[in-house]
Amino acid sequence: MANELSLAVAGSGKTRSLVHYCASLPNERRVAVTTFTQANQAVLSSRLAHAAGDHADIHVMGWFAFLLRHFARPFLPFKFPRRRVLGFNFEGKPHRMAKGRSRFLDSRDFAYACELGRLAFELIGESNGALMRRLECIYDELLIDEVQDLSAHDWNILDSLLQSSIRIKMVGDFRQAVLATNPRSSKNKRYAYTRAFDWFREREERNVVHISESCTTWRYRPEIAAFVDTIFGAEWGFPPTKSKNHRSTGHDGVFLVHPDHVYPYVKSFDPQCLRYSASSGKKWDLDFMNFRAAKGTQHERILIVPTGPIKKFLHDGTLLDPGPAASFYVASTRAFQSVAIVIEKAHACGLSWWKPSNQ
Amino acid sequence: MINKVKISGYRIFREFELEPHKKLNLLVGANESGKSTLLEAMILALTGRINGRRVPDELNPFWFNTDIVNEFVANRRAGKRVAPPEIRIELFFEDRDELQSLCGAINTDVPTRACPGTSLSIAPNPEYAEEFEAWLEEPSPILPIEYYMDEWRDFADNRLTKRPRQLVTAVIDSRTIRSTSGVDYHLRQILADHLKPFERTAISLGYREAKVALSDTGLRSINERIGASQAPLHDKPISLAMDQSARTSWETAITPHVDGIPFALSGQGQQAAIKISLAMDRHSDRAAFVMIEEPENHLSHTSLAALVSRMSDLAGKQQQLFVTTHSSFVLNRLGIDSLMLVSPTTAARIPELKPDTVRYFQKLPGYDTLRLALAERIVLVEGPSDEIVFERIFKDLYGKRPMDLGIDTLSMRGLSLSRALELCSVLGKRVAAVRDNDGFDPDELRESETDWLCKDTIELFIGDVAYGTTLEPQLVYFNGEGLMRSILGVSPKADLSKWMQREKTEVALRIAESEKSIKAPDYLRQAAEFIHG
Repeated sequence: MANELSLAVAGSGKTRSLVHYCASLPNERRVAVTTFTQANQAVLSSRLAHAAGDHADIHVMGWFAFLLRHFARPFLPFKFPRRRVLGFNFEGKPHRMAKGRSRFLDSRDFAYACELGRLAFELIGESNGALMRRLECIYDELLIDEVQDLSAHDWNILDSLLQSSIRIKMVGDFRQAVLATNPRSSKNKRYAYTRAFDWFREREERNVVHISESCTTWRYRPEIAAFVDTIFGAEWGFPPTKSKNHRSTGHDGVFLVHPDHVYPYVKSFDPQCLRYSASSGKKWDLDFMNFRAAKGTQHERILIVPTGPIKKFLHDGTLLDPGPAASFYVASTRAFQSVAIVIEKAHACGLSWWKPSNQ
Repeated sequence: MINKVKISGYRIFREFELEPHKKLNLLVGANESGKSTLLEAMILALTGRINGRRVPDELNPFWFNTDIVNEFVANRRAGKRVAPPEIRIELFFEDRDELQSLCGAINTDVPTRACPGTSLSIAPNPEYAEEFEAWLEEPSPILPIEYYMDEWRDFADNRLTKRPRQLVTAVIDSRTIRSTSGVDYHLRQILADHLKPFERTAISLGYREAKVALSDTGLRSINERIGASQAPLHDKPISLAMDQSARTSWETAITPHVDGIPFALSGQGQQAAIKISLAMDRHSDRAAFVMIEEPENHLSHTSLAALVSRMSDLAGKQQQLFVTTHSSFVLNRLGIDSLMLVSPTTAARIPELKPDTVRYFQKLPGYDTLRLALAERIVLVEGPSDEIVFERIFKDLYGKRPMDLGIDTLSMRGLSLSRALELCSVLGKRVAAVRDNDGFDPDELRESETDWLCKDTIELFIGDVAYGTTLEPQLVYFNGEGLMRSILGVSPKADLSKWMQREKTEVALRIAESEKSIKAPDYLRQAAEFIHG
């Protein structure tokens, strides 16, 4: 069986297809399922318990946990004899010029999250094959959800995994690449974001992986689909999204809302409010969720407080940089029925305005 | 299976390393040499338990090596900041596919090496660092184990909470056979390992249903009577039912029967035999370790023979056996090449022994090879009379019996001298062998043993043909007839040499008890000097 990459737009049922796939496997297959966000991990675990509860050997874990458990912890002494990984440092960063052990471990011997990929990759080589042999004996399949979020050294690790006897199945959407595991890393920059797609194409030509694409969403309305396709310029070469959500509620599609009308809008439609970070949208006392945290969630309606570049994009059509574009794409695709964007003026986008009925 | 055992700081083992045989390991050693401790340590690292109980329940200050603790205390009192004593037991396994989940480089091998393995460590608990430091103000040789913690991990640095399923371990320990329920933890473990999961479920279900059925039948009339009782004790109805809680699960209610007799009531020898055959199931397809402590205990010679032949039949395919023994019989029958000589630093294995020598001892299982293995220095003589006379000569020369100096005098009793010398040579023993010339040229006789002779460690001593062909004429030659007659109390009428030939043992005994010293024949004196060193 060949390795597989399924690319699919937001809301096309990627998680569901993973769960179905797991349920279809023979009971004795030993499977690791890795994800990038806690939320996604919880969703996957509970759905798997429901659909494939009789499979005792399906293990869901975060990508970092996977690297810690099977790479860093067992094999660290190959780089640093007599040392053990005693914990995980998610937030911290090594000193810019840090060399040797202090590059990877803090003073308590906790592994830095941002350097874990590099550590794991180097251990593959330094363990003289012991690491990969161990992994091959433990797992028959490795499923990677949100593969677009791999970054830097993760790609080299994936290359090693693709050459192993473990069957790799990946799902992802390069338009959603918002969570780079190491933002500061320069390694493999050329694969960043959508260029990761070319990386896979290269491997498809060498018959290492088979790629399939799905452009149909079951989640958001055709109007939303048409709008989010415009976030990325034509040069990215993404195929247009088709929507199969034909449910209508009387308020469907993408709307512009003047800042003065935010409270009436929220009162009328009760949307989930989204903002880029805690520092944006301060003027409204609303129950906000940040873009990053919204990943993997879905809501009937949403209201977005845009960033400066998003406003510029709506107003004069200036395209967003890849990172912010992906982030705006993720936010906009969270809704089933309607997306409202708070803005004073937006000439370029041609979207319609929502106004309270008394005006 | 287990490729290497490393122990540090545990009881008698300060630093200990052992590379066991793949299949069968016969652990022998003098008392207090650490045989049982070695088994105990391996069981600890394999199962996380000792005598069926978890480490924290059994941990006591005497687990720590006394020398290490004393040095530590002395150093601390002298103001040196040395690290506190720790215990570490590591088991390195063969690099097999099914053991890979235990594989990693978290072990003490240098240079760094990844292989499957488990380790148990007992080290100070960082949470009690302050309390421990306070105790160190006035340290004593009784370590405060309350401030220690145990960690049982595999080499991949995963903390283990129960025995990994690949490491099926059967412990046959004749000391614990006499447990109150008759079925001890180890036996229950063995039984559980025997059952497939669906069999276990079936038993569990059947047992529960039987209990329900009993509530419906046997207890029904009682319940009806209680229900009809005129003065209820309580306003809600009361009835009796079988206890369905986990406390009364089938595991505690099921016990093996032997020919219809409950296991606990059968003889101790039989109990040991049953445990061993259950543990060494021919059909067991899993990798397994079997630890047997002194199988010779509680067994008659014939049942031991039967048991040993069963063990040697079953040993091999899947299981790695560790057997401690004090019995030469067990040792010879199971194969002297599997011998491991345990000392507090290592367990030496015999490097190479000719296969026909192994077979030779298997056919002569009564021979006391264990004495050869355990002695520091050995004198090999032909028979009992040579043994007695040599001991007397030695005492006259050095004022002490050979045994007091760690020299064991062993009589060959017809055993091939070459085989014994080969064994001593691979065991690295210092040996003085003594034999009669029987009328042949000593140089010719030496010829056949040259393979095993070694100038400073193994030497063969033979009397000159001119002074007599056996011990008795040699004694007469060196002491003169008059002295011999007086020592032996032989009347002048009797023929001295005929009497001595006829009454060999009596001659030896009378020499041993004589108040007068005798002059040693040259070859015996040389042998005594050689072995005394």
